[in-house]
Amino acid sequence: MKTSPDNMHVLTGSYALDALDVQERTEFERHLQHCPSCQAEVRGLRETAARLAIARSARPPAQMEQRVLAATYRTRQLPPLPSQRLRRDLRQTRLARLFVGWLATDQPRPDSRPDHRTGRRSGRGRRNGWSNSWLRSPWLAGAVAAASVAVAVGLGITQVSTQHQLDSAQARSAAIAKVLDAPDARIEATQTTAGGAMTVVVSALQREAVVTASGMPSLSSSRVYQVWVMSSSGARSVGLLSSTDHIGELLASGVQSGDKIGITVEPSGGSTRPTTTPVATVPLTT
Amino acid sequence: MQDMNRPEIRVAQPDPGPVAGEDQDLAFLLAQVARGDHQAFEAVYGQLAGPVYGVVRQVLRDPAQSEEVAQEVLLEVWRSASRFDPARGSGVAWVLTMAHRRAVDRVRSENAGSRREQKVASEAVTEYDDVADTVETSLEGQRARRCLDSLTDLQGESIKLAYYGGYSYPEVAQLLGVALGTVKTRIRDGLIRMRDCMGVMA
Repeated sequence: MKTSPDNMHVLTGSYALDALDVQERTEFERHLQHCPSCQAEVRGLRETAARLAIARSARPPAQMEQRVLAATYRTRQLPPLPSQRLRRDLRQTRLARLFVGWLATDQPRPDSRPDHRTGRRSGRGRRNGWSNSWLRSPWLAGAVAAASVAVAVGLGITQVSTQHQLDSAQARSAAIAKVLDAPDARIEATQTTAGGAMTVVVSALQREAVVTASGMPSLSSSRVYQVWVMSSSGARSVGLLSSTDHIGELLASGVQSGDKIGITVEPSGGSTRPTTTPVATVPLTT
Repeated sequence: MQDMNRPEIRVAQPDPGPVAGEDQDLAFLLAQVARGDHQAFEAVYGQLAGPVYGVVRQVLRDPAQSEEVAQEVLLEVWRSASRFDPARGSGVAWVLTMAHRRAVDRVRSENAGSRREQKVASEAVTEYDDVADTVETSLEGQRARRCLDSLTDLQGESIKLAYYGGYSYPEVAQLLGVALGTVKTRIRDGLIRMRDCMGVMA
């Protein structure tokens, strides 16, 4: 049966108990992808449903164990999903801090970094030919992880703020994760003239880019770093980088090939147009 | 020299996340299973075969069929352990969601169409304690039962029929003679109340 989007949220309970028919289950799962608050609720209710199962725990027939164990020796296991590897990397915040440290003191030149796992050399800041190998790139894993530090920091800060802010932070981090998960996601990076580095993960399909910066020097309280989408028709602001540590992640929507992502130093509060020469720009060749 | 500043970046152990001690063990075991560790799988079996078999049997009733489905589920745990993502929930929930869904899918595919509805209409609301002879008691299970008992009658009945009975919510509505919207809300409200009662981490 058909359910309007407004009524979808109330289905979290029935979904967690597998009490939806196939069609409604499919519709709900589609809704779920774009509803972080539903995801959180479903997760909690699934854990609850699992306890209902535990309450009905029963001793299985004695011969079952032998049968199952024997079957495992005849059964090939599935490989991990690529996107899952990425999500796993996304959570490596400890790793990310290391990575940020590495970026801040970054001396090695691009294009000559060996891949830790494959032993191959993977180009850095390269504009073409990322194709699918980017998934295995430790560099991207690090950049993704760096982005997740900011997400983690953001979520940590909102612990004392309202549920609404928390929800929007979650929605934003979900939007960012979507870009990082996009099949065509590509990574561009550059050093800034101020120090530190800017990394951009861009998805042409989604026309979105995630901008992270790290290791940038502190500014006086009257100045901030501001991120822009720069096109031939002018520049529009993406947002300000977090002032505390200059690690930030911002989502730029509606980007297209030929645009550039740039960072400038602006008076605190930001400007409507860039007023200084960018400390870094990265062209988006999607 | 430059290498010293360079982080060792590789696919690391899954982050266990904010879960109870037992489940951290399970998440760790599942990661081992994903790498083909048969001993770890035995440990997983030891922890989960009871609840898996129990919930499947609760829904399907028939012991032979229940055993078959429980075996399929446990083998699926072996097969797809690499797909378990601790960021998305506990290992217990991952396995038991799979078990319950598979049991329910079995029921629905067998009872497709009007035959099922007639059966539903004629069947009295079943007492869900009648497989009690084989039920094992665990502290967590007892707690879940206590929390289930703390719900309103309509919440409790809706949840039991949906989860233990394997009925869809429209079937539950029909059985209880209440509106569809009422059942949807009661199921959700009841589960939320249970979640809070048990202190489940969301």
